Amino acid sequence: MTARKSGSRLETEIERCRSEGQWDKIPELVRQLSAKLISNDDLGELLLGESKLQMYLKENPIKQGSSPRGPRQKLVEVRKHLTAALDRGNLKADYLQEASLLMAKICYIEGEYKDALGHYNRVSLEDMQLAGAPVYRLSMIAEAYATKGLCLEKVPASSPSLSNKNSGSPLTNRTPAEREQEIITCYEKSGDIALLYLQEAEKALSAGIQNRSPKPGPTAQDLELGYFLETGLQRAHVIHFKNGNLTQGVGRFREILRAVETRTTQNLRMTIARQLAEILLRGMCEQSYWSPLEDPPTVSPLDNPTQQGHTYSKNYTLSRRPRVYSGENLFCPQENTEEALLLLLISESMANRDAVLSRIPEHNNDRIISLQSASVVYDLLTIALGRRGQYEMLSECLERAMKFAFEEFHLWYQLALSLMAAGKSARAVKVLKECIRLKPDDPTIPLLAVKLCIGPLHWLDEGEKFGKMVIEMGEKAAEFRAKGYLAIGLVYSLKATDASLRSTQEEYQRKALGAFQRAQSLSPTDHLAAFYLALQLAVSRQIPEALGYVRQALQLQGDDVHSLHLLALLLSAQKHYHDALNIIEMALSEYPENFNLLYTKVKLEAMCRGPEEALLTCKHMLQIWKSFYNLTNPSDSGRGSSLLDRAIADRRQLNAMTLPDFSDPDTGSVHATSIAASRVEQALSEVASSLQSSAPKHGPLHPWMTLAQIWLHAAEVYIGMSKPAEATACTQEAANLFPTSHNVLYMRGQIAELRGNTDDAKRWYEEALSINPTHVKTMQRLGLILHQLQRYSLSEKVLRDAVQVNSTAHDVWNCLGEVLQAQGNAAAATECFLTALELEASSPILPFTIIPRAL
Amino acid sequence: MLAMDQGVVEEWLSEFKTLPDSAISTYAASLKDKGSLIPALYKVIRENYSDLLEPVCHQLFEFYRSGVPQLQRFTLQFLPELLWSLLSVSAARDPHTSGCIEALLLGIYNLEIVDKDGQSKILSFTIPSLSKPTVYHEPSAIGSMALTEGALADHGLRRVVYSGPHLQRENFTAQNRFEVLTFLLLCYNAALSYMTPTSLQSLCQLSSRVSICGYPRQQMRRYKGISTRLTVTSEFLVQLITGIHYALSNGEVDLGSKALDDVLYRAQLELFPEALLVGNAIKSSLHSAALKSNNKEGARSIQVEITPTASRISRNAVTSLSIRGHRWKRHDAVDLGSPDELMDISEVDEGVWPGAAGHDMTPPTITISNSTTTLNLGAKAMKKCRLGGRSSKDKESGPLTTGRAASENAELSVKRLTLTSSQSVPRAGALTSLTRTASAVFSRSFEHVASSNPAPTSNHAASEAGRYSCSLQEEGMGYLSPTPNHTQRSPSISIPLGSDL
Repeated sequence: MTARKSGSRLETEIERCRSEGQWDKIPELVRQLSAKLISNDDLGELLLGESKLQMYLKENPIKQGSSPRGPRQKLVEVRKHLTAALDRGNLKADYLQEASLLMAKICYIEGEYKDALGHYNRVSLEDMQLAGAPVYRLSMIAEAYATKGLCLEKVPASSPSLSNKNSGSPLTNRTPAEREQEIITCYEKSGDIALLYLQEAEKALSAGIQNRSPKPGPTAQDLELGYFLETGLQRAHVIHFKNGNLTQGVGRFREILRAVETRTTQNLRMTIARQLAEILLRGMCEQSYWSPLEDPPTVSPLDNPTQQGHTYSKNYTLSRRPRVYSGENLFCPQENTEEALLLLLISESMANRDAVLSRIPEHNNDRIISLQSASVVYDLLTIALGRRGQYEMLSECLERAMKFAFEEFHLWYQLALSLMAAGKSARAVKVLKECIRLKPDDPTIPLLAVKLCIGPLHWLDEGEKFGKMVIEMGEKAAEFRAKGYLAIGLVYSLKATDASLRSTQEEYQRKALGAFQRAQSLSPTDHLAAFYLALQLAVSRQIPEALGYVRQALQLQGDDVHSLHLLALLLSAQKHYHDALNIIEMALSEYPENFNLLYTKVKLEAMCRGPEEALLTCKHMLQIWKSFYNLTNPSDSGRGSSLLDRAIADRRQLNAMTLPDFSDPDTGSVHATSIAASRVEQALSEVASSLQSSAPKHGPLHPWMTLAQIWLHAAEVYIGMSKPAEATACTQEAANLFPTSHNVLYMRGQIAELRGNTDDAKRWYEEALSINPTHVKTMQRLGLILHQLQRYSLSEKVLRDAVQVNSTAHDVWNCLGEVLQAQGNAAAATECFLTALELEASSPILPFTIIPRAL
Repeated sequence: MLAMDQGVVEEWLSEFKTLPDSAISTYAASLKDKGSLIPALYKVIRENYSDLLEPVCHQLFEFYRSGVPQLQRFTLQFLPELLWSLLSVSAARDPHTSGCIEALLLGIYNLEIVDKDGQSKILSFTIPSLSKPTVYHEPSAIGSMALTEGALADHGLRRVVYSGPHLQRENFTAQNRFEVLTFLLLCYNAALSYMTPTSLQSLCQLSSRVSICGYPRQQMRRYKGISTRLTVTSEFLVQLITGIHYALSNGEVDLGSKALDDVLYRAQLELFPEALLVGNAIKSSLHSAALKSNNKEGARSIQVEITPTASRISRNAVTSLSIRGHRWKRHDAVDLGSPDELMDISEVDEGVWPGAAGHDMTPPTITISNSTTTLNLGAKAMKKCRLGGRSSKDKESGPLTTGRAASENAELSVKRLTLTSSQSVPRAGALTSLTRTASAVFSRSFEHVASSNPAPTSNHAASEAGRYSCSLQEEGMGYLSPTPNHTQRSPSISIPLGSDL
């Protein structure tokens, strides 16, 4: 810097250094200044004093809550500079004020609070102009207000020096409330001016970068706030909250957050946003909320009624205020969860930006800090979104947390749970695997995984693995051990249903039974264990034993719908149809909208009370369906709104179906091939269902599936009444929804048979089988037709296949016997008839497997 | 029940009946001064067979139906106790069903599910979006967001329904019981700030009991009421947890944390992901709360402290932001288009780059950077900076980083693919040592780049791009077979260096 600067340029340079806090450059600039004009000496003193004071504070920062320091050697020099500047009285008024403010600051540092207050009174802080003030002066004024607040807090209220006559201080004879009011006003003013200063400084800085001369100027440092500005920005709300004055505290938080952010306030904003979000979530409710642009309520339950006397009312205006976010169509939250969510999303984006990615040991601490601040945000997000059931969005947010998640169990687990709640089962299982790795001793995690494997995913092998994990934990799993056995029993039970070889089937049934017995003995008070044991016994046609356990289950849980349903089916297997119907009706009084129960009711009514009653029930079902799904949400809740999300969610719902394959005895819905078949239905019907934007969110069944089933049930009743026209009409309704469903095709075949049109019937049955090759009912009818057509060996083949798929279908055995008889194989035929007879004696009105099996 | 309590209740019953309509609001305000009334009413509800129960329920319903907020809240404060009474009676299969409590609860439910015009009420809220300006932020300051499915789909505010519409109910059945009760709790939670400590305590007790009755934990808690298990739903537990969260932070620490534990215990046994999710989050946020609540005094107060505003993360750590800025520079340099396009990639991982390139150079001097300052100004500002000329330092660093960044980019995109397909399971093993050295060098050199406000002028872009593609290959190879003389094979690095020094 050889070239001497012209006067004005020099002054600009000094102003810039003061604004940007580059105190180390001041002495050199002062040297140039004094060389110019002798009258600049006083200003020089002021500048030197200031820069030395600031350097001192930089080297010895004041900590929050630290005690005063007393006189300091280094400060003596500063005081000398300032006294020199003040004494001669040659300074301009502005500079005189600045020198006084600096003096007051020294007084504060040295613990001379009353002196500091005296200085502030002399310069009449309130009158200092904000408009047109250079940037650095805004910072000085903000600091001065903060320091004044600090001094007022330190000085006892009744201090005699405050009634000093020549100070003319308005502090005399004040009530504590008035004093408090003044203190808070000081801090709030300080905070507002500090925000203004930071905005102006940043503006100047970016302008400076653009206009800077081509020489490589020193790059500007980050502005640092320092003790005084930090206090000024935050002390006001700290006091509000300490006084139990939540409305004012929240109001102050919002004022700070609404000011346009600057680089320096980013961290403060993040902290405050998080704190405000937390207050909104755990200290407020919908009724006590007021929006940021509204005036706070005058009486609020949020303010602590026990701490009277802390009534603060904001009563100042500043000539310049910090810029706030403005513009058209600004989103302003109208509800506490909305505001919390907005704040958390902002915090999240900041926390994410600060995610420390490097894993070298030196950055361990940084990583922990960034992880902690992010976890708080994610936990609060979970609380806010969970409360509103927005799991889809939550899972996306938590997915973004994964950059913090290396070896962090909590984040992984929360992600897994959110995926599960959002219905993203496959991903959830994968994440749960990682959770198991991180915390191998927790039995809940593998159990959650089994739940998904058994339910929506139908991943039975995986499920078996997870179930075994729980069992292998042994005693450690404590109360979850029984649950583990229950889980693995369900896996085996479902595998048994899926198996196509009789021996495998029996093997799995045996294993399932063993597991359920174990679960039941480990947890005799769990109705689920008793219930599934009963169900498994029922499936293996041990009817009396099953009845014993289902009664036990009902004793433990009297209104369990599945136990009641099973009881009814068991009674129907014993041919006590009237008792069964009574049970169903009783169950329906508690579960009037349960379609599964209603299907059984239709069957039983047709049996006991004639088809008219059954038709009435079908009509009733249609009414329920309508009232249920007509009321669907206008905007899709609970799921993502994007088309993609919706498609995924729909597919998930459809896959989740464990709906009874109603006309198919004993081959429950979960048979592997019937799943494949229903997938075809789904794929083909997806177009149809996506047209209806508002699919109901609850209920395990897709509503359209339910509707089709109701129609098919009605059709079946009409077939029983030999009314082909009505049956056709009902089938057509179902066909409109699922034109390629094997159930629809099967029903058409039956109608054709009823009309005596064997060829058509055969064609329909063949089509049904081409969609679902293991549909036993169809196979049985087809076998029968082939028998009538005297194609015995083909008929025998079809029927033997059917028996292979489901060995408990008594009518298939019966048909097989007839075919064998027609072929002249009397011995084998007899055996078939005997089997059929035996099975018929224990056959329920609908297969036991229509009862869903889930954990 | 004491005669005195009975007297208080009877007086309350008769007083309201004779009240003229004009006096209702003053009456409502005066209710809280009746000190012995509320405990007496709790007693009536607890003693299921009291003769007073029916008139009390009736009057509570009248209060609710009046529509006066204070009266409605007066009724609501008894909700937890009423719920427990209902559930315990139905679980015990008591023949004396508490018909009047059922009627009261159904009455409130049926009033709340419709709006003033008798239409089904739908409770909805707006999910804010950072892509739209709000009172608290400007979208441009946030930078680009991750391109998730959801973010792509709804670039705007989204209104979602969280409850409703609900059907009118005439009686409780096993099927609708929890649907109705969950909705009632939602109404209760909406008025939490107005609830008395007694009511919050009652809520905590309700939560504990519903969760543990019939389970081994019941002995631990020494609760001797009914011992049959109560069926619950996940949504019901989530609503309970919401209330517990409020109680926990507003004075009921002991009961609240016990209740939270019990609900979590039950949620585990039932394998309810929703309840576990929210419960875990509350538990974990209590440990690391942003706020300290003044729990000792049992006061409803929230304390905050003055926090340092400077970032606590050291400047030379590689963060999402620093790595992101790094990429901006590079993509601007080769004019690939919007920096945002690759943001998603850049966030995925720290830069593991083939370490060789920087090793045999003296690391540039580090001026503690203003990297973040300039970066924060965003891409626009940086483009402006670039016009202002370049220091001698960027010339040496510019191409260097370009090459390096390119390889990193290739590397990262490969990584990203594998990461997504393997569900982002971080691997610690073989890569760590490489990663460590690499990222150390990387972060330092990056610091340097950022601090010198660099980037080539536009007519440099073409040649930069040339180097870019060439070094992409070289570096890629280098990564596959790292050799010590790697830098010599890379003219793109040494040539510009020589010309500048």
